[in-house]
Amino acid sequence: MIGFSATTAFGLVRRLATVGLDTPSLYLLISDAPEMHVIQADITAEIQVQLGVGIQVLAAADVGAGRLEDVFIQDPATPVILITLDRWLPKLVAALDRNMVLLETPGAVLLLASRGVAEHMLIAAPNLRNRLSDVLAMRPDEAFGGTMA
Amino acid sequence: MQTATDSKPGAVVFDRRQIYRPFLERLNPIGSHNLPADGLIVAPDHDPRDTGEPPIHVAFANTAELTRGSQMALVGGIGSGKTTELLLTQKELSRHSDAVNIFVDMADYKDLSEISPGAILATAGIQLYRHLVKKTGSKKLPDAVRTAWLELRELAFGKTKWIDPEAFDPHDDESGDDLVPVEVPGVMKLKFPALRGQVVEILGQLLTIASPLLEDEAQITLLVDGLDRLIRPELFREFAEQDLRALRGTKISVIIVAPLLFLYDKSRFVQDYFDMVKHIPAVAADSQHSAFLRQILERRGALELMGRAEVSTIAKYSGGVLRDLLTLARSSAEYAYRDDEDRIGRRHVNAAIKQLGNRYLVGLGNTQKRLLRRLAEDGEFPIENTTARELLVNRQVLDYFKGGLESFAVHPALAKVLPKPA
Repeated sequence: MIGFSATTAFGLVRRLATVGLDTPSLYLLISDAPEMHVIQADITAEIQVQLGVGIQVLAAADVGAGRLEDVFIQDPATPVILITLDRWLPKLVAALDRNMVLLETPGAVLLLASRGVAEHMLIAAPNLRNRLSDVLAMRPDEAFGGTMA
Repeated sequence: MQTATDSKPGAVVFDRRQIYRPFLERLNPIGSHNLPADGLIVAPDHDPRDTGEPPIHVAFANTAELTRGSQMALVGGIGSGKTTELLLTQKELSRHSDAVNIFVDMADYKDLSEISPGAILATAGIQLYRHLVKKTGSKKLPDAVRTAWLELRELAFGKTKWIDPEAFDPHDDESGDDLVPVEVPGVMKLKFPALRGQVVEILGQLLTIASPLLEDEAQITLLVDGLDRLIRPELFREFAEQDLRALRGTKISVIIVAPLLFLYDKSRFVQDYFDMVKHIPAVAADSQHSAFLRQILERRGALELMGRAEVSTIAKYSGGVLRDLLTLARSSAEYAYRDDEDRIGRRHVNAAIKQLGNRYLVGLGNTQKRLLRRLAEDGEFPIENTTARELLVNRQVLDYFKGGLESFAVHPALAKVLPKPA
């Protein structure tokens, strides 16, 4: 896998705090599959602590290619949406790629994917790739040494 | 910038977010629909393929104003600024008080994989009805218009019928079981397939809704975005042959974004079908010709946070892809913030370039890498090759147009991270 910048949930949410939630942000977050639930919990906690806003956490299987309008409807109470993609769902990714405008509402959309799924996404979804704010390799807080991202 | 703290009265703390946040908000690479109002757009002053021609949005607006019912196509790669051009055209058209401009991204209404021919007409009808209601109020509209609106909604979104389950026979086939269709070819082949019944029906409702405007000689322009993202580009052709052809002769002009691949298609369908086709290639990104790119960043306040050298580097490595230009600037700012720096330095820009290059590098196999190296080293790019076209559509390869000549180049951010052959 090609090396993308690494960060922690703390670093990611610090970025979101810089940008603010009044404009749309879209991040692809890469994590080792066994650590995904830890990363998800870290992000959820950091969003609530640093930003003080609600977060909608969804599994990709629950999103469904046919109901993107419902998922991405703007809800001021939960301006951050975290979708976990632990397996390759080509129909969902294709739907996201074609219907990018649905993601262009104020707030942040975080796509947390395993390495393999992230690689597939970057290949199969050029519209989505082109609109990503960034691609980041996520590390659990305690395992991340050196400078805080 | 300093902000008052709430913990120690009179003391001030440094809040670095306030340095970067306004810049980042102005750089947002997704969701550019408010940009014309924000004054952040640097409108091109000429056609990107011909410096002697007016800019695309002016050419489109002039044609729509002078030749009502004309049909125009805009072709360009991902992130090349097609939506921005449509928005600029819409703004230009609004200079006339009788202009009715309908801007739609088809994905706003339905998953693009699920729409069928007739959808553009239906969307236009729905938007025109909304325009009329806003302008005059629904009660003042003629009954025929209101009836057409209700029928159009049914045709567009379907309806639920309540029937007696006892009387319902799912196997009932009115055509009869013994009959099979046999096609008998005629001596003449139609240039376009016949309009489908449902398309004709939707067109009828659309024209009824539009009738108060058409009777007043209003200038109606439909600007359609999003269909370049169709999963099967050939589906775009179906929409053109059904929806757009149905609109011929109605005095409703259409400006539509078409898939880039059609520009290189041997059938020349787009060039032959539309009255005007405009192509947005990547912007020249070398230091001599990148003033336009630098202006875009400077308009957004880049020089408050970085030097001219960094602005030029970002312009160069964007390859002239406008969305990549904004993405690089945004990532650079985020890296500087991460490093607790008050200004964006060369290393932050380099990190952003590497990130962008890596995005383009992911998933490239040996065949693609060979094609990219051939292009980088010898300038050869076989555009008729399927893999080569995929590289173009996916923006690993960029299309340029200069001095009347088309050329291709590896995206400079990708070129920077592309591994050398072993």
